[in-house]
Formats: sequence, C-alpha cells, structure tokens
Amino acid sequence: MKPDAPWIFRTYAGHSSPRASNRLYRANLERGQTGLSIAFDLPTQCGYDSDHPIARPEIGKVGVPINSIDDMHLLFEEIPVEKMNTSMTINATSMWLLALYIGVARERGVPATSLTGTTQNDIVKEYLARGTYIFPPDASFRLIAEMYEHCLDHVPEWNASNVCSYHLQEAGATPTEELAFALSTAIGVLDTLKARGRVPAAEFGRLVGRISFFVNAGIRFVEEMCKMRAFTELWDELTRERYGVTDAKQRRFRYGVQVNSLGLTEQQPENNAWRILLETLGVTLSRNARARALQLPAWNEALSLPRPWDQQWSLRLQQILAFETDLLEYPDLFDGSPVVVAKVSSLKEEAKAEIQRILDMGGVKAAIESGYMKGRLVKSMTERISRINTGEQVVVGLNKFTDGLPSPLLSGADGGVFRTDDSSIEETLARLEETRQKRDPARVAAALDRLRAAARGTDSMMEPSIECALARVTTGEWAGTLREVFGEFRPATGIDGQRLGLETDRVTELRTRIGALTKQMGRRPRLLVGKPGLDGHSNGAEVIAISARHVGFDVIYSGIRLTAADIVQSAVAEGADVIGASILSGSHLELAAQIQDGLDKAGAKGRIHLVMGGIIPAADFEPLKKLGVRRIFTPADFGLVEVMAQIVELLEGSRRNEGQE
Amino acid sequence: MKALVERALAFHTLSISDLVATFEDARPSAVARRREALAELDRQSMTRGRIVGITGTPGSGKSTLIGRIGVELHQQHGLSVAVVAVDPSSLVSGGALLGDRVRVRFPVDRPELYFRSQASETELGGLGPDTFQVCRALHHVFDIVIVETVGIGQSEVDVRWLCDRMYLVLQPLGGDEVQMLKAGIMEVPDVIVVNKCDEEVAARRLVVSLGSSLPLSRPFGAGPPPVMLTSALSGVGIEALCTDLVSQIKRGELVHKEAHFFSRWVKSEWGRIGLAVLDDELGGAERFVAAAGGFDEAQGTFGAAVRRVL
Repeated sequence: MKPDAPWIFRTYAGHSSPRASNRLYRANLERGQTGLSIAFDLPTQCGYDSDHPIARPEIGKVGVPINSIDDMHLLFEEIPVEKMNTSMTINATSMWLLALYIGVARERGVPATSLTGTTQNDIVKEYLARGTYIFPPDASFRLIAEMYEHCLDHVPEWNASNVCSYHLQEAGATPTEELAFALSTAIGVLDTLKARGRVPAAEFGRLVGRISFFVNAGIRFVEEMCKMRAFTELWDELTRERYGVTDAKQRRFRYGVQVNSLGLTEQQPENNAWRILLETLGVTLSRNARARALQLPAWNEALSLPRPWDQQWSLRLQQILAFETDLLEYPDLFDGSPVVVAKVSSLKEEAKAEIQRILDMGGVKAAIESGYMKGRLVKSMTERISRINTGEQVVVGLNKFTDGLPSPLLSGADGGVFRTDDSSIEETLARLEETRQKRDPARVAAALDRLRAAARGTDSMMEPSIECALARVTTGEWAGTLREVFGEFRPATGIDGQRLGLETDRVTELRTRIGALTKQMGRRPRLLVGKPGLDGHSNGAEVIAISARHVGFDVIYSGIRLTAADIVQSAVAEGADVIGASILSGSHLELAAQIQDGLDKAGAKGRIHLVMGGIIPAADFEPLKKLGVRRIFTPADFGLVEVMAQIVELLEGSRRNEGQE
Repeated sequence: MKALVERALAFHTLSISDLVATFEDARPSAVARRREALAELDRQSMTRGRIVGITGTPGSGKSTLIGRIGVELHQQHGLSVAVVAVDPSSLVSGGALLGDRVRVRFPVDRPELYFRSQASETELGGLGPDTFQVCRALHHVFDIVIVETVGIGQSEVDVRWLCDRMYLVLQPLGGDEVQMLKAGIMEVPDVIVVNKCDEEVAARRLVVSLGSSLPLSRPFGAGPPPVMLTSALSGVGIEALCTDLVSQIKRGELVHKEAHFFSRWVKSEWGRIGLAVLDDELGGAERFVAAAGGFDEAQGTFGAAVRRVL
C-alpha cells in the first residue's frame, strides 16, 4: 500500500488589516503551510462596514476586515488564487465573500473554475454556538443552497459550505451530540437542495460529494478517533440510503479539523502544547478516518490571540507528525479492533437515535426555532463546568496539580500575548472611504437593486452578488440590503430551565447572603448579563447567567451583539445593580470605556457596577480598573461559585459604603 | 420625590427606573414613599394609560411581537409604551432568569419606549407580587402599559383583573389551543392572536379549529373573541393589531382593581384565614381599602385590624 499523502497544513490567521494579513499569509506559505485559512473580523462576519458604530471597537481584532473588493485584492496581493486552497471562516455573509473572491479572480483574468477552497457557511452552528448569524433560518438556508447550485456549475472545486461540528464541541457538545447535530445539519442542507429541485437528479451525487465537514477533536483522543470513524460510516450510510448516491467516492466523509480550544487552560499554559498534540492524534491516527486538512490552536489561546511564533510552533507539530514519524506509512491501524468496533457502533447507535429525534421534530430548522438543540448544548456545557468545579473531571493545572513553577514562556517583553496593530484601523477606514468615492454610483445602485429584486423573488442571489462585488458595493451595503428583505433573526438562548449541578455549603451560604441583601435593599439584587460587541461566543455568558440565578440573583440576560448603548439602556431601565459583560474578541478596553461613558451620561455611574469576563490579558487589568471595572474574570476563574461570591462581596461592600438607609 | 416624578414624566429612564423600584420595594419604609409618589403623579400627570395584557405559551413569539407593537404604537400613533415582562423565579434559590429582553429590543434613543423585567417570585399567577403596584406607577407615565406573562393556566386569570384588554398569542402547530381549552384560559382573552402566520397552512388550520371550538369554551353569554393573524417576523398584521389596541380599549378604573389586588395580597400574606376576616368581619376588600384611604394604607393597617378581630 502506498503511503498516505499528508493532509493540508493550515493556520487560522488574519488580523489588523488586509495588508498586514497578506504579509502574514505570504510568510506562512514560505514556512511550508500548504493552504490558507482566513479569519475575518467580526464586522465582516456580521455584515457591517468598518465605520458602523458597532464595528469600530472590533475592526481587525479577531481577523481581517474586508469592506469591498479593493480590500480583497490587497488581501491576496502576490498570492496566486488559482493555485491556492483557501478556506474562509465566514457564515452569514458567505455568499458575499465568495462573490468577492470570484470577483478578484475575474478582475485578474483567472477563470472561476480554477478556484478551490471552502466557505464555512454553516448557519446552524452560528445559531447554536458562534453567534455570527444575521438572517432567519429559511433565508439562510436559501443562501446556502444558491451557493451550492452556483458552484456546481461555475466553481466545481469549491466547497460551498462546511458542516461544522467544531463549534458544537466548543459549546459543550458530547461526541454523540456532535455527530447527530452535524449530520442533521447536513441533512437540512441536502433536503433543502433536493426540495428546491434546481439540481438535476443525475448531478445530485456530485452535489453530495461537495459537502465537507469541519470537526473538533478533544482530549479524550481514543473516543475522538472512534467518533471520526463513526462519522465516516454514518455519512456513507446516510448518503447511500437517504440520497441514493451510488459512487463511493461521492460518499466519502471529507473533513478538516481544528482541535479543541475549550479545554486549553490559562493556568500553566505550556501544558496546552501537550493537549494540542494529543488531540491531533485523535484525528490523524486512523487512516480510514484521517483529516484532510488540519489547523491547530496555539498554546496561549486562553490568554489572547496567538502571535505568529505561537502559530509557527503549532505548524511544526503537524510537520513533525507528517514527515518525521512513520504514521503515514501504514494502512489503518484499528481495522478489526474489537474495542474500537464496539465503541464506534455504540456512538453510531446513539447518534442515529438523536438524528431521528430531530427529524421527528421537523428537522434541523424546527429544532433551532424551538430552542431544542441550543437547550441541549447549554445543558451539556453546564454539566461539564459543574464536573470541573467539583473535581470529578480532572484538568491538570486547573483543578489538580495546580502548584507549578512560573512559565518562562510568559516572560517575554510582550508577556506572551498578541496585540493587533491599531494604527492600521485608520488605513482601513480611509480605503473604505476611497472605494466609496471612486466607484460609479449608478452601477452600485443598479447592482443593489438587482440583488434586492432577486432576494424578494426566487432568482439566485449569487450572480447579482458578484455584480455587487465588481461594482464595489461594500459589505455593509450588501448585508443591509438583505437585512431589509429577510429581517434579522434572534434564536433561542437555551438558558431557560437549566440548572447547575452544584449544591455545596458555599452555595447555601451565598444564598443566605443574597437573602440578607434582599432584605436590606427591599428587593432581590439584579445582575444584567450580556455580551457587548459582535462576538457571539455566548456559552460563558450563559453559564454565568445560570450560576447567578442558582445563588439567588435576579438575572436579566440580554443576549449577544449589543452595543455599549444597548447594555447601558437595559441596565438603567431594569434597575440593575451590576452589569456583567463577557468579551472574547479582545475589544474589552474600548467597550469598557464606552459602557462607563454611557452610564455617566445616564446619571448612573457609580450606582451600577461593571464587572467583566473573557479572554483578558493580565496587562489590561490595570487600565480596566482605571476605567472603573470592579472585577475582572478570565478563564482562570473557572470556579463559578467563587465568581458569584466576588459579585456578592462587591454589592455588600457598596451597601456598607452607602451606610444604612 | 417631586423632582423624581418630574424627571420620570419627562421620560428620563433612570428616574422611571427609580420610580418603579419604589413600587417594588418590600421594606415597610417604602409605603410612605409610594404614597408620596402617587400623590405627586396624580398632581403632575394627566396621563392615565391603558393596561394591556399579552399572554401566551413560550415559543409563541409573543416577546418579538411585543417588540414590534411597541415600536409601531410609538412611530405610527405617537404613543409612549412601557412593557412589564414577568418571568418565573426558581423555587430553590429565589433567583430568576429574565430573558425576554433578548427578543424585545427597543431603539436606544427612544426613552418613550420602556422595558422592565419582573420576577414572579413565589406567586403562582402570571403576575409578580409587585406587578399591580408597578402598573399603578407606570400608567401615569406611559400611554400604554403592556403586561407580558408566561404560561397558561387558571392563575392567569389575575391578569384579566389588571388589564383593560387581554390578548392571547397562539402559534400554529403549537397544539396550544387544546391545552388552553382544558385549562380554561379561553375564557380570558378579548382577542386571540395567531402569530407566525407566515406558516400559512398551519395558521389557517388553527383559525378553523378555533372557529369551531371557541364558542363552546366561552362563558355563557360571551361571544367568541375575534381572531387576528400576525407575523412578528415579517410584520404582517401588526398594524391591524395596533389599531385594535388603540381603538378598542376602554380604560378601566384602577381604583376598582385595587380591591382585587388587595384581596390577592391578603391571601398571599395572611392566607385563607386573613381572607375570611377581610370578607366576613371587615366588610370586604373594596370597603376596607376605601376606609383606609388607599391601597398602601390598607396594607399598613390590615395587620392591626386582623389582630383586633382575632
């Protein structure tokens, strides 16, 4: 048997500006990376121009800002798109980014048929876990379907979407939930395409062959390896039985992986390097279920966004595994292993039962709208954190073996963390303005009209979107037009009816103390939990909201994608005592300043306390305290009850300062 | 207090919020402040807003609907609108998750649109212990006060007492109507709203099924309530619903409602014996409240009255 070819090596990258990201990509390609994985900033993902008020604090923070085709040209400067396998982590605005990519190719004279790559474009996991959705499910599925239909004819090597179970595991999904929810999503996409009837029956197999997956791999790497084998077998059965695909090649479960970030710790962060290695084994060991593309997180992701060196270190792991070890030389190592066979078959049975449950509810769209899937994930996550809190689930360095020497990796001048280059923001804004100035307004208006008409009717929006790209329409204009037609969607939060599995003496004590506060204040203390900014990774905020109710707060959960003004308005109108703001995108300084400013203007500064949680580097603690942030929680504060104790303490302190009424 | 009420009537959000807090305050010292606030509100404000109840099962989309109604009433009818949304409390910790805010987002620069969440605490009805009190304050400030309650059941009948007009929101395919027929809630609403009507076939089926079953479930002599179709998503039917809301409501006198909510308070604080004393020995709620000089005063003097009787 011939040795297996190595998988595609990728690094999820992009920050600051198109120019800075382009430099980074070219450097990464020189270091032996074989594909690109593009991270877009949150305004681009949520369909806002960089100069929209909600976008300003987020420009270039978690990825590259793309406002128009001019930015896209810069991003791919001196990179031959026809030779690149490009993966874009983009969802609600996928059609737009694909249109921009095709637009770049067209303006360079490159045929679209030569483009290869993937737009992530899995809206289900956005509703469930990642939060960069815009439109309601029906409109979102239509956008996905039209991209498949377009690509099948015009960009045949493009994966129009990627079914992502990655984010489900990050949101707490068990292996069974990961299998079942991902496959239900794929069924949702294929059923939609089938019902639309625009793909000829003879071509349907080829269409099924374009569905690819993006999977997570956790630390229980034996189970994860079995999960991947279960995925492979289930997909083969499903595509054969449900869609009648006869060509085995078209039934192959093709998947890329980013291994787990959820289990990475802020404490003793160097340990994460081993975790990443072990997680990588789960998706590479078994040849029959080996990843086709791999990207690894960096050891310091619980501290901040990774630096280029951190990413290089992770890339080297892949290269050592593929080129130094003998892994690729053998056929599958586990075929016939009774242990593996038994584990795979039990995962398959559980997943099938869950898939059937979702189908019985009316499929994935119905299970999103009813909040069923979200509720399951919030429950699994709450259980997981409860287990870590009680010590039942061991996390080395976090709840066991916590004594350790200080890490020299953190002692560099930058403290081991990455900072985006904020000086590039002005450049991004200036280029956006320049694009608006130099373009032909009549062509822009006509292109947007055509897009609107297609959206209102039944014509495909793909060609009109490409015309928008060429006309130099901006990201905000494209998404704004579709927002007008489709409206914006708010999915279920999943937190209703959830309970925390923690009943300790400390919880009882906190309830007593909150009872005392309630007596003193004449009402129960109120905590407002919300996520300012565009980052939609809401599971931290959800678990905090559930914990706060568990100890006796009245919790106002105001959800995700809020401006500082939204948060202030809610806190003031609701008479909140504390605002708990959760931010993972790195824009905590800007948002803290905006919230305090808003409270000041509303006359509530000093009356409503601000506490923050998220990926916040220690170097930012002082500036945040200067801004009046009273408590700061990071992934190191995994003790939910302790977090609550600190908030109770804060309120008790401020009652004492006010004196008795 | 004078200045606070002045600012609240000028839609200063923090002051409205402080005013509401006065009416939610469980400390005995708050009774005097409430009396003062009500006197100021009576003096300074000509507004006597209408109180509207909107109820329905979770998932019926009523929160999203209320968000749209609020904006429509404000933009098209020039009205100010307050929403009081009641969510259940945990029986174990006493805390509550108040999540409706996620779906009702009023524009931030419009203080004439106000949203307040409330915990039901241990009350079993659709209302919290302070909902009546808070509505008393808010209806002096806002043209429309919408009370949003969760769940179905006979206890929801309390909302009927508070509100000038009741809307029951159902969703197609919810199977809600069957449960509701059983629970007797069909006796309550003035209007039935079938939301999510973009699911056309299911919506039509629900309307037909309501048409045949409603007359049977209504109290003797009452006609079947009108059924309206809306879609909170696309906006269909919102205009008609708002027109109904504005044109059909005759404002009830909150004074008459005080008696009901006083009885309710007596029952929750003093139990059945308290209620028996009130009705049999003290001449009933209406007389007792009038003699005491108001709702808050009646709460203050009831304890002594009970002790005298017993």
